[in-house]
Amino acid sequence: MPANKKYLSSPWQRFLKITAGFVGGYFVMLSLHLLLTHVFDQKKVVVTAFITGYILWAVLLLVAFLCKSGWKISGIYLALIVIFYGAYYLLNN
Amino acid sequence: MNIRNYNIYFNTHTISGIIICAILYVIFFAGSFSFFKDEISAWQKNRSAHTHQAAANDYDFLLDSLHAAHNLLGRDITFYIQDNNVQTYVNMGASQDTTVKKKAAAQLKPEGRRGRGRGNGDAAYFQYDFQRKQPASYAESYDMGEFLYRLHFLAQLNQVPIRIGTPFGYLVAGIVSFLFLFALITGLLLHWDKIVSNFFTFRPWNKWKTVWTDMHTALGVIGFPFQLMYAVTGVVLIVNSVLILPFSKFLYDGDSEKLYTELGYNDDTTYEYRYQPLPDRVALNPYLKQVADRWPDSHVSRIYIKNYGDESMHIAIDAVPNFSRNFAGAGKIVFHPATQSIVHEKSPVTSASYVDRVKALVYRLHFGDFGGYPVKISFFVLGIMGCLVIISGILIWLVARDKKSIPAHKRKFNFWAANVFVAICLTMLPVTALTFIAIKLNPAADQAFIYRVYFYSWLALSVFYIARHKLHVTNRETLLTGGLLALCVPLVNGIQTGKWMWNAQRMGAMDIFVVDFLWLSVGVVSLIAFYRIRLDGKKASKPKQKVTAKKGVVPIA
Repeated sequence: MPANKKYLSSPWQRFLKITAGFVGGYFVMLSLHLLLTHVFDQKKVVVTAFITGYILWAVLLLVAFLCKSGWKISGIYLALIVIFYGAYYLLNN
Repeated sequence: MNIRNYNIYFNTHTISGIIICAILYVIFFAGSFSFFKDEISAWQKNRSAHTHQAAANDYDFLLDSLHAAHNLLGRDITFYIQDNNVQTYVNMGASQDTTVKKKAAAQLKPEGRRGRGRGNGDAAYFQYDFQRKQPASYAESYDMGEFLYRLHFLAQLNQVPIRIGTPFGYLVAGIVSFLFLFALITGLLLHWDKIVSNFFTFRPWNKWKTVWTDMHTALGVIGFPFQLMYAVTGVVLIVNSVLILPFSKFLYDGDSEKLYTELGYNDDTTYEYRYQPLPDRVALNPYLKQVADRWPDSHVSRIYIKNYGDESMHIAIDAVPNFSRNFAGAGKIVFHPATQSIVHEKSPVTSASYVDRVKALVYRLHFGDFGGYPVKISFFVLGIMGCLVIISGILIWLVARDKKSIPAHKRKFNFWAANVFVAICLTMLPVTALTFIAIKLNPAADQAFIYRVYFYSWLALSVFYIARHKLHVTNRETLLTGGLLALCVPLVNGIQTGKWMWNAQRMGAMDIFVVDFLWLSVGVVSLIAFYRIRLDGKKASKPKQKVTAKKGVVPIA
């Protein structure tokens, strides 16, 4: 019953996906919530992140596993971080 | 379903699950008992908190004795009142008044001034018991309730000397709850297509693998919302600095105290010290009486006294609604004694803000303190169900890999991994029951005693069952010994204290009654489970215990 190996990735790819999902996912989640402080009251965003933040982070970790290539997902997450944080930064100044 | 995705869910669910299983079991097991933390404390000390009224708490008696010993003029004093209204933690800061401070400093060795307790002049932090009107240090007031409560977030592991900026035990607990959240999401997606049909499938008379699979799926699906809530709130409670640190860095200029104050966790408001002592001593009890009259359906959770005895003295009182009145809400009232006025007021029952609501969702759900014993007992049962999901998960993992196609060395490794996990997990039941008996037999049981009894017996039993390496024997015997010991808990309590269950119930000591009742039920259920397993083992001992052993079933006449 163990999962069929042919659908799972090589160790190097897996390493890429775990780092992208765990580290990248964390910063995507964080920068998204930072950006949201421009839309909503910031203390409300912070307290909401207690729930949405962790769930989103776990989902992003899973999405990284579902992606075909570890490089691709690292790139996507990096782009999202740049967009979210960039927008947050620009709106701040 | 997309076959590739299915396999990925499957793999990630399995791997994250098997990594965390043993620790998660400990967390769930100890956590389930932690719903009754105050009850266990009352049970151990044989002092019911149930008959105690919050209104009887005499703060002025405490303040007077503190004043006599320390001269409270110009100090900040904070009371953190415990849920049972019997105990409070007291934090007394150094004085704002330089003359008082100098005098205090002269009596002490000169040290740094910041930080709680140590180094902050003559500041002090201790626990106080209103029933006995006695202060106690933390170690003195340590009991089994505190032990299990702290075990459920692995505080005891903090003593492992691995320094990475955060206490080791908390970090492990945090990572485990995050992986748990991940395993829950993948598990749900894995079963999504068959969620309805699987829910109604229970084939207890089938092969063991199907029994475990059905149990894992059915109990997992029933418990899913409960477990998801625990995974999320657990991460929040144990490693929320993961969010607090960056948010305070970006949004609050790196000042996390400011963030905590804004979210209502703390009150770090400071008032300028005026050096104008008030003519009369300020009594705290009348203010508490006033709060009780204003907000009858709530109880005080914190009291902050700022600049005691000065013209600038303020008394801030936090109150939370009783669960019968409101789920969410946080009241705050600030008095200014010099002018006899109320500076700020927010009712706990009418004006719950969004922040209050989310916080109530996180904390009250996690502590299960919003509906009295019915909720706590249901949560206890759901928590123990979580333990069963974990055990059945380990067994599925093992059986699924016990095939001819898998190389022998791998099968051996898998078996021993499962053997170790199962031995560690299942021995918790007899060990916990045993420690409850031990603390009743030894009234002087302190932290060291509880540690010794609990951890050594746990180690010994685990090693014993690991060495025997028969999973079904481990299961059966821990159920039997656990069940018998559990039944002994109310007996020993009755004999030692005379507070038999019926006496405790008649005296209104419901907290003591509940602990006995819990153990009685645990004992009965364990013995029924033991009996069923033994019946089953007799009926068809040969084909199903392939994994575990050949000379497995010892017929007990």
